[in-house]
Amino acid sequence: MSLRAIVDDPNAYWSGLTRAEQGVSGFIAGFVVLLLGGLFTGILAPTYFLFLVGIAGMYSLLSLGLNVQWGYTGLINFSVAAFFGIGAYGTALASASSSPVAGNLAPAVGLFVALVLAAILALLIGIPTLRLRADYLAIASIGLAEVVRIVILNEDQLTNGSAGVRGIPTFFDGWPLLDTFPQTMPSVAVSWLPSGTVVLGQSFWSALLNVVVVVSFIAVSYFVLKRAHRSPWGRVLRTIRSDEDLARALGKNTYRYKMQAFVLGSLIMALAGVFYAHLNLFVSPGDLSPITTFYVWVAVMLGGSGSNRGALFGGFVIVAIREGTRFLNAFEFIPFDVAPLRLLLIGVIIVLLMRFRPEGVLPPQRELIWPSVVDDAPEQPDSGVRDSKAGESND
Amino acid sequence: MVLDLLASGLIYSSIIVLGSIGLSLVYSIANFANFAHGDTMTVGAYAALVTFGAVGGLGGTVLGLPYGFFVALGVGIGMAALVAVVTEKFIYEGMDVGSIGLLITSIGIAFIYRAIIQMGFGADFTRYDIPAMRPIDALVTYGIRVTLQDVAIVASATVLVVGLHLLLQYTDLGRKMRAMADNPDLARVSGIRTDRVKLWTWIIGAGLAGAGGVFLGLFSRLTPRMGFDLLLIIFAAVILGGIGSVYGAMLGGVLIGMTTQLTPILSELGAVLPLVPDTWGIPIGIEYANAIAFVIMVAVLLVRPSGIAGEVV
Repeated sequence: MSLRAIVDDPNAYWSGLTRAEQGVSGFIAGFVVLLLGGLFTGILAPTYFLFLVGIAGMYSLLSLGLNVQWGYTGLINFSVAAFFGIGAYGTALASASSSPVAGNLAPAVGLFVALVLAAILALLIGIPTLRLRADYLAIASIGLAEVVRIVILNEDQLTNGSAGVRGIPTFFDGWPLLDTFPQTMPSVAVSWLPSGTVVLGQSFWSALLNVVVVVSFIAVSYFVLKRAHRSPWGRVLRTIRSDEDLARALGKNTYRYKMQAFVLGSLIMALAGVFYAHLNLFVSPGDLSPITTFYVWVAVMLGGSGSNRGALFGGFVIVAIREGTRFLNAFEFIPFDVAPLRLLLIGVIIVLLMRFRPEGVLPPQRELIWPSVVDDAPEQPDSGVRDSKAGESND
Repeated sequence: MVLDLLASGLIYSSIIVLGSIGLSLVYSIANFANFAHGDTMTVGAYAALVTFGAVGGLGGTVLGLPYGFFVALGVGIGMAALVAVVTEKFIYEGMDVGSIGLLITSIGIAFIYRAIIQMGFGADFTRYDIPAMRPIDALVTYGIRVTLQDVAIVASATVLVVGLHLLLQYTDLGRKMRAMADNPDLARVSGIRTDRVKLWTWIIGAGLAGAGGVFLGLFSRLTPRMGFDLLLIIFAAVILGGIGSVYGAMLGGVLIGMTTQLTPILSELGAVLPLVPDTWGIPIGIEYANAIAFVIMVAVLLVRPSGIAGEVV
């Protein structure tokens, strides 16, 4: 449905949504109102707000990547953190000033290095494990992800070990115009807020640039995936997910298809890692901890396995959970440590989802049909049908 | 040095074995990879911590451990079993999501256990209030540094494992469990009340895990992450031994426990082995001990997914 149609008749659009879609829209609207309220009252600094948008975009990107593997193809990949980490380390080692191997290369080169490393790692992990049964794949992939983390932690001469890599430039370092964009933009003083004057200075503009980076990464991945999902290639993947033996009986080399999906998903995860490195300007082995993997899993399952917009939604919910629990720290009267609350919430969401709605909040709909076919189809064929069947009265 | 490493490998192995038996039992009878198993160990360890703090030493000691500690061990085992049964009854039992769905659910369960423990006890590490002991003098002369408490860990684990062996081989319940692990449908049509057997499996598996957790806390220290960190090592042991085989899990536990503790030898292999030059060795440090176990696990999955003792499917 085009944007114009929505504006023309919002009521029809609203009633055309499923209940879940209405709920999610309500949630998003409420969340946006909350954030805007925070911005207006000065609780939320604009720069920090943009940082949160960046982090949410990062999780959305990771979820899109996992969605290709789990949602489309049914591969249980528990090594998300490894691909995220290899992406972050790839670009960091290429571009950072303190990099022990290369260093001071352009971030665009870093992006390339990260993607190449991620593709190699995906092949290394995928070649042995993708032939395994589903539950073995889960165990093997989390084991290999730990191996990657241990190697990065201990190979000091390559990765700086536990000290991490500092001095990573921003993504637009060395680009014409955009490199100096935060410095050249004037400081804008916003004085009409109830909380007093807020100055949007250099840090705001660079945060804005980061959001531009992540949004463009997401946009590219989203449209590539959308096309891929509907292509014949995507159809084979869905067949593999529902019945691998069937796909093989149809003459498809399922191992190859699974490998392609695995590599594609891993590249998107590495993209999220690249963004993270240039956002945080520091990477350490702690970024590869398995909890990242499970955050992303929650995001994908919450959104609806196989659904790209669900993955985007899930990414934002994860940030709401992470930051919401951090917000609770401000309340002194809570008698226990708040940090584990996040873990608890993640656990409870996983259990409740699997118990009551294993398909997720926004499961893919009509994934086997082109949407235009549905939109353009008349409610009833124009000819060849009678208004009522014989013997049935119409009143 | 080799003897010392072998000794510490034996202690570590007995902890792994306690964990891996339960994981293997649940894997074969409830039919899913239980990612909450490691955190069940943590539950046992912390339950014992609370109990030991409450009852105190109770007078005398056995093998360097106060009587009260054995009470705490019992409570730890019981608590782990109770928590697992409650989880099975309220969460897993009513679910119809297949083994993959249960696997994912168990990750959520693991996080819930860990979060609750962390809320109660904080994220920092603690120890049981038992004075550390000096290594046994008679063994130090051989270069083995082992305390009486370490001997107690191995002895208790052996008692539990032998007890399980007797249960499996000579009791009615044990025979039913083996039948069910072999073929659940056949067991059911033969008139075995499979849901009751399944419940007992959870009790035994989680109880052993609880004991493993208590000993792990005694061997090193207690943190809310201790179980989750050990989980993959236990998976490696189970897979190496063969999923579904209790005896395979024992063997796998010993092999994996020994491998991780013997890693320091690899870089000095030449000094240990005959016929190779003394300076020869595989240059790999102790920090890669766990990584080696995981690589072994993946290799076993590839070459022989049924493990050492499992049936070839």
